[in-house]
Order: sequence, then C-alpha cells, then structure tokens
Amino acid sequence: MKEFAIRALRRQVEYEQLWALLAIDLEVHRGEVFGVIGPNGAGKSTLMKVVARVLPPTEGRVRVRGSVAAMIELGAGFNGEMTGEENVVLYGSLLGRDADVVRSRVPAIAEWAGLEGFMDVPIRAYSSGMLARLGFAVATDEQPDVLVVDEVLSVGDAEFQDRSRDRIDTMMKHGTAVLLVSHDMGLIVELAGRSMFLDHGRIRGFGASPDVVRQYLPPVD
Amino acid sequence: MPSNTVTYYDSDLARRPLVSELRNLWEYRDLVGLLARRDITVRYKRSSLGIWWTLLNPLATTLVLWMVFGQFFRFETPGVPYVVYLLSGILLVTFFSQAVLTSGAAIVNNSAILSKVFVPPEIFSVAAIAAATVNFALSLIPLAVIQVITGQGIPWTVVLVPIPIFFLALFAAGLGLLVASAAVFFFDVLDLTGVLLQLVSYLTPTFYPISIVPAAFVWVIYLNPLFSYLEVFRGFMYGGTAAPAWNFAYMVGSALVTFLIGVWVFSRSWRNLIAVL
Repeated sequence: MKEFAIRALRRQVEYEQLWALLAIDLEVHRGEVFGVIGPNGAGKSTLMKVVARVLPPTEGRVRVRGSVAAMIELGAGFNGEMTGEENVVLYGSLLGRDADVVRSRVPAIAEWAGLEGFMDVPIRAYSSGMLARLGFAVATDEQPDVLVVDEVLSVGDAEFQDRSRDRIDTMMKHGTAVLLVSHDMGLIVELAGRSMFLDHGRIRGFGASPDVVRQYLPPVD
Repeated sequence: MPSNTVTYYDSDLARRPLVSELRNLWEYRDLVGLLARRDITVRYKRSSLGIWWTLLNPLATTLVLWMVFGQFFRFETPGVPYVVYLLSGILLVTFFSQAVLTSGAAIVNNSAILSKVFVPPEIFSVAAIAAATVNFALSLIPLAVIQVITGQGIPWTVVLVPIPIFFLALFAAGLGLLVASAAVFFFDVLDLTGVLLQLVSYLTPTFYPISIVPAAFVWVIYLNPLFSYLEVFRGFMYGGTAAPAWNFAYMVGSALVTFLIGVWVFSRSWRNLIAVL
C-alpha cells in the first residue's frame, strides 16, 4: 500500500576503517520532504551521496524508485572558460538528461535564473550568486522523482530563496520525494514533515521535525 | 507528474560487470562528445592560435629531428622522404602518449564531478581518448601537405588510415583505464607513465629506420606493440601498401586484449576508487 520512493536498509559506508554511516534504516515516500540534520561530519552528505548513487554502500542496500536529481553541490562540473549555455548543456547532460532537450531548455533556464543576456559569457565572469542560481535552475529544470538537496537552499538573495522554495514546494505537490540537508532549523521545521538527527554516522533522533530539532538543539532556558 | 523514465536504482544490482560497462559507453555517447569538446576547446580558449598549438609541438620536434638526423646523421629511409617518415612517426607516437596520459589523468581531474553526481566514470577517460583522436586527425593535415610537397603523394590507401587509429585508440583506452585506476591511489603513477611512454617512444622507429637496428636488438623493436601500429599506419598513410600480416595481428590482438583488461580492472576497482576520490 505504501508506495515507497526511497528505501535504504541499513545503509553503511566505510571509509578508512571508520563507519561514516552505520545502521541507517530509512524509508521516504513520494511527496514527502525528509529533513536530515546534525553537526559537521555527522555523515549527512555521505548519506545523500549513497542515495544519489555516487557512493555505493559497503554493506546494506539502497533502493531508489525513479529518477534522482542530486543537488549535493550546485554546478558540479561547471567550467569557468565555457559560456553559460555550454555549461548548462554539459551540466544537464551530467545529470543524465538528453543534451538536445537541455539545449532547447536553455532560454527557460536562463530566464528562471534571471541570467538572460549572460548565457554567451564565460562563467568565470559570474558572481558566486549567479553561479548558484544557474546551478539550481538547471538541477531543478526537470521534475525528478527524488530530489536530494544538500545545503544548497541558502544560496542567493532573499528573493531567489523564496523562488527556489516555491519550486521545491511545487515538485513536492507533484509527488517528488525530497531529502533535505540543512543547518537552518527554521527551514527544516517549515519544509520537512519528518526528520533524522545524525551524529557520528548513527541515528540520534528520528520523527516529527520539531521534536528532532529540539533533540539536536535543546531549548536554552 | 513524475518523469516517465522508469529508472530504478538498487545498490544490490548495481554491480559493474563488463557488459554493462560497455553498454554505458554507448548510452552516454552524447556526454562523451560534450566532454571531448570541452577537453579540446577549454585548454586553448584564451589563446589566439587555439587548437593549432597541439600541432606546433610535433611540427617543431620534427623540424629539429629532421635537421639532426636527416641532415647531420644522414639517415636513409628508402622509398620515402625522411621528413615524411619522421613526421608520421612523431605524430602517431605523440597521439598515443597524449591519449594514454590524458585518459589516465581524467578520473583524478574530474573527481569533483564524480563525487557529486552519478556518471559512469569511464566516460571521462573515453572522452579524453576522443579528444586526443580529434587532435591527431587534425595533425594529419600538415602531414598530407608535406607528402604532396615532397612528391611522396597520397595513395588511395589513406582511406584505410582510420583502422590503425581506431585500434591505437582502443589500445590507449585500455592503458589509460589501467593508469586511471592506479592514479587515484598513487598520484605518482601519472609521472611514472610519462617516463615510460617516453622510453617506449625511443624504442619505436620514429626518427631512425629499422634497418639501422642491429640484428641482435631487432626483437626489442618487434616486441614493442607500438611498432606494429606504426607500420600499419605508415603503410596506409604514405606507402600505399599493407604492412605484414603479423603487424596487423599484433595490432588487433594487443588492442582488444588491453582494452578488455583495462575495462575489467577499472570496473573491479571502481567500488574502492570512488571512496578515495
């Protein structure tokens, strides 16, 4: 009955004798936003990479149904010497899309990122905000079944952050499962229904986001 | 609406056997093309001579070697002007070295991408081979011009030149994947490869005729697979002849065996590689 979008059973990745993740049991459903919080080095990014197929699990099993868009780092593969358009096509293709389709989407992507008129310029001339906007626009141009967002929602100005949240909202409503890593607890509570608190690769808290956030950051009195 | 691609990832099924590896290469051919284009254009984007820089090195080398060995030492190459013999050898060996080195470095150089998005890693090595092949194809233009100028001419067999190029690219891809697997763990492998390639190039008759090699040493040259590729290439490019059958056999055999070993080793070691990147 429960149609799963992601099921990761005891996901474990070993790195230099150290278990970056151990005994992670997680199932995320369609249309759900699942938050992952924890201190630096907790294994959050490793978990995202395991789901995104970048890292194979040392032990255990990951199953993902449908297409995955991983925003682990926006614009992975961007090359400063190439123009905005060339980078869009290359990045889109690296994300597994058809190069011709991406090419036809360039105007729409440029418009959404607010970068019309900059697409023929080598992107080494871009500001970091422009790069982040372009990366986000490409990564979210197609609706994936699973969206992995690793701390990339806090880029750009306030206006852009609003628009990127809207875009994720729309995807969710259309059934995309979202895995959201963030240090912004307000964002986690606002977007994610359930969350997981990771520490040293182990689950320290799991459940409704407000509760998990309280476990991670005990209220100061 | 979820996208209509019914992709399904299951880490248990995601072993990387040889067949799926080769199928990946075909499925990702567009991306290989884009990456090859990036490799070719980005390097010279800011220079005015652009891609022609890749020709400058072999042409300058040829000029100097022609002076030293053609004019000072007076090497004789019966049936072909020395400069044609020399340039054809230099170009092919340069292509081979460049292909092995760039494809060997491709995984390390693209680790930033590989640790963030899922792409079959071997396509970066293959793209590097493709870029080197395009450079080589371009470099055949000055060779053809020199053949015409020196009166050697261009035989019809030139249409068969893609055959040795294809097998040499395959051979280089196999070696490149082996180097790439090792280079992730020991970066020094790249430097070592550069040294070995240079030694092998001296054992390939690029600037000296095979006739000056003492009988006791000829087997060293024959053993060097690069010699067979060069013989086949020279035969088609300017000789208008086919090299001896054993050269063809050695060429095809070494290419296929090396390529399959390279892909196999690479796919076996990939699971360990990715964690280190």
